[in-house]
Amino acid sequence: MLTALLIDDEAPSREELKALLATARDIEVVGECANAIEGLAAIHRLRPDVVFLDIQMPRVSGLEMVGMIEASALPQIVFVTAFEAHALQAFEEHAADYLLKPIDPQRLARTLDWLRSGARPALRAFPLATGMLRQIPCMGRNRILLLAVDEVEFVHTDLAGVQVVGVQRQGVTELSLKILQERTPLIRCHRQYLINPERIAEIELLENGGAEIVTGSGRRVPVSRRHLREMKDRLLIT
Amino acid sequence: MFEEINHLALIGGLMQQMCVYLVIAYLLSKTPLFAPLMQVTVRLPDKLVCYLVFSGFCIMGTYLGFQIEGAIANTRAIGAVLGGLLGGPFVGLAVGLTGGLHRYSLGGFTASACAVSTTIEGLIGGCLHLYLLRRHRADRLLNPMIALGTTLCAELMQMLIILLMARPFDHAARLVAHIILPMTLTNAFGAALFMRLILDRRATLEKYSIAFSAKALRIAERSIGVLVQGFNESNCSRLAKIIQEETGVGAVAITDCEKLLGFVGVGADHHLPGTAIASPHSLRAIQHNEVVYADGASVPYCCSLARDCKLGSCLVIPLRGEENQVFGTIKLYEPRTKFFSSLNRTLGEGIARLLSNQVLAGKVEAQKRLLAQSEIKLLQAQINPHFLFNALNTLAAVIRRDPEAARQLVQYLSTFFRKSLKRVGNDATLKDEIEHVDAYLHIELARFADRLKVEYAVPDDLLQLRLPAFSLQPIVENAIKYGISQMLEPGRVIISARREEALLCILIEDSAGLYQPLPSGDGLGMNLVDRRIKLRYGDAYGIEVSCEPDCWTRVRIRLPVEEELAAC
Repeated sequence: MLTALLIDDEAPSREELKALLATARDIEVVGECANAIEGLAAIHRLRPDVVFLDIQMPRVSGLEMVGMIEASALPQIVFVTAFEAHALQAFEEHAADYLLKPIDPQRLARTLDWLRSGARPALRAFPLATGMLRQIPCMGRNRILLLAVDEVEFVHTDLAGVQVVGVQRQGVTELSLKILQERTPLIRCHRQYLINPERIAEIELLENGGAEIVTGSGRRVPVSRRHLREMKDRLLIT
Repeated sequence: MFEEINHLALIGGLMQQMCVYLVIAYLLSKTPLFAPLMQVTVRLPDKLVCYLVFSGFCIMGTYLGFQIEGAIANTRAIGAVLGGLLGGPFVGLAVGLTGGLHRYSLGGFTASACAVSTTIEGLIGGCLHLYLLRRHRADRLLNPMIALGTTLCAELMQMLIILLMARPFDHAARLVAHIILPMTLTNAFGAALFMRLILDRRATLEKYSIAFSAKALRIAERSIGVLVQGFNESNCSRLAKIIQEETGVGAVAITDCEKLLGFVGVGADHHLPGTAIASPHSLRAIQHNEVVYADGASVPYCCSLARDCKLGSCLVIPLRGEENQVFGTIKLYEPRTKFFSSLNRTLGEGIARLLSNQVLAGKVEAQKRLLAQSEIKLLQAQINPHFLFNALNTLAAVIRRDPEAARQLVQYLSTFFRKSLKRVGNDATLKDEIEHVDAYLHIELARFADRLKVEYAVPDDLLQLRLPAFSLQPIVENAIKYGISQMLEPGRVIISARREEALLCILIEDSAGLYQPLPSGDGLGMNLVDRRIKLRYGDAYGIEVSCEPDCWTRVRIRLPVEEELAAC
């Protein structure tokens, strides 16, 4: 039994794929999402075996989204697109497979065979993962936010999840601190904190060997002893 | 020993000599030598010409004089004074000195007195020149009355010098008594007439150049834009007619490199447009890229088509296009009975340049239009596949759920494609354009389901207005592609139109507010529509975009109102 998640901004498109998948008895569609941000949350929550992912989606494309998925949660990805050019790109990204819209049921059957057999190597590392993110998708109060990385002051984890704190707006993101550290210019200053070096106003050194950063808008961010030296090196302070 | 002198006879004789003198001056005035004399100049070559001409006149005045009592009654003063007046003190001095030394070489008891006085006469003219220039009255330099007065004074001064210098005195006094009246009068009148001559010559030249400019301007004005529409038979005939009317030449022909395109005037019965070029003159002009002039005398002209052709001379000027390549000729003819005026010859070359530029401009224009056309076609070809696959995918889903709605969708899809594939060059009514957009939007509505709302606000009375086909759809498509489809929330597109007097304003608004001026590629459709409108109606029209980030993007299409002609 394979669990599948459908991410596509066009309702008829999801509907059609769902109808096609319904004919395969061993595929269970566990969820549907209309954009990449919802999709990211759903992947982390539902941990599907396979994601059917549209490429052309609002604000965050399917290709960009794959790079935001936590490595441990990375499912098999099947790109679904109406554009051949995008499909080829997806193929170069070592996706498990790609399907062209409108979907040919026999072609879909072949993809499902591959998925069942596991003949295609599961992908764990996307070349795209080396590209930098320009914006961080988050859930704000009842709405989806795309916070530009430049706008972000710091990121920290708490019980609610990964909090992205911008100058004016803040939200909870599905992206892990690890991915953010790798894919943005933010740097680690504490086990639970990433700081945007561009937004540091001052660093107060504490007696216990740690420190506290004051950001451009006056927020305070702790710096652990372990990360202080690293940070000093980064900022060329001796 | 002194013979009795008849004063009247002396005046008459001197006057006669002066007439000869003036005739020579008149003839000289027809040559380019006179050009520098007609205005006050400071250029050295002009001064030199001035010196040479007036020295010549000075010497001639001496030779044309009468031997009288061992001296010479003469008109030398005219040259010296006018040389000074027109050329300034240095020229005056030089002319006077030249004339004086020449006189001195002829001898006689007044030789030295005459040499000195002529030099001083030149200086007097020169000083007056300087004085008038300093007073900013240069216009008076050419005034005949001033020349008259100056020469009168100069001559009186010469008499005084003769009295002072020539010896024996009684001999000199007698001489002066005889010649004072004839010489002062003759020289003064002669100078005035000479000046008048120069003035007349100048007036003629001015009139000539005014007539020339006026003709050139009228031809330019009347022919403007004719050839821009194309270098073909009908346009060339129109143009030949204009040129013939304005220049008044016997006939005008315009050819390309192979055949006659237009012919108007004498001999139009056998010089028929469309026939191949037969004249060796034209062929030479085309081959060697040069102006060929057959005046009918030194270079014979003979019509190569008909023996009894009345045309007797012709001027062939090549028309040059890009990189100076000959693409045709313009020919001016005069009948055997008429002279080919030099005015028309110069004018002909000017016209050829004018036409060459027009044809060039026309080509650029046509290329621009062609480019815009083909770009629009490219655009259609580019967009449709993307749209098509999305539409087909939507259709696949709808067929499963609601076959009736699917049938409807197929209908919209075929409407959309039929209208898209219609030839782009044609106009469309606003109604056509709205139908096109509506078909498109119905498919997008199905595709985006509840994420898209569409509103129209187009008054019925505007629906018959005309605009270039395929102007609206690319804009609406942009609103979907870069607007609504990029929104995480549901969005809305509003299409409205309104008329502001002679202006048709179509507004396409989306609720995304995500517009970003893109340097290339993505905004292509909109840029093309804008370019096409501007090319056709001018820069006052076209597309304007305004955007309130995250609220709305508004694209305004501004067009001149073109009422649809009565329905046929």
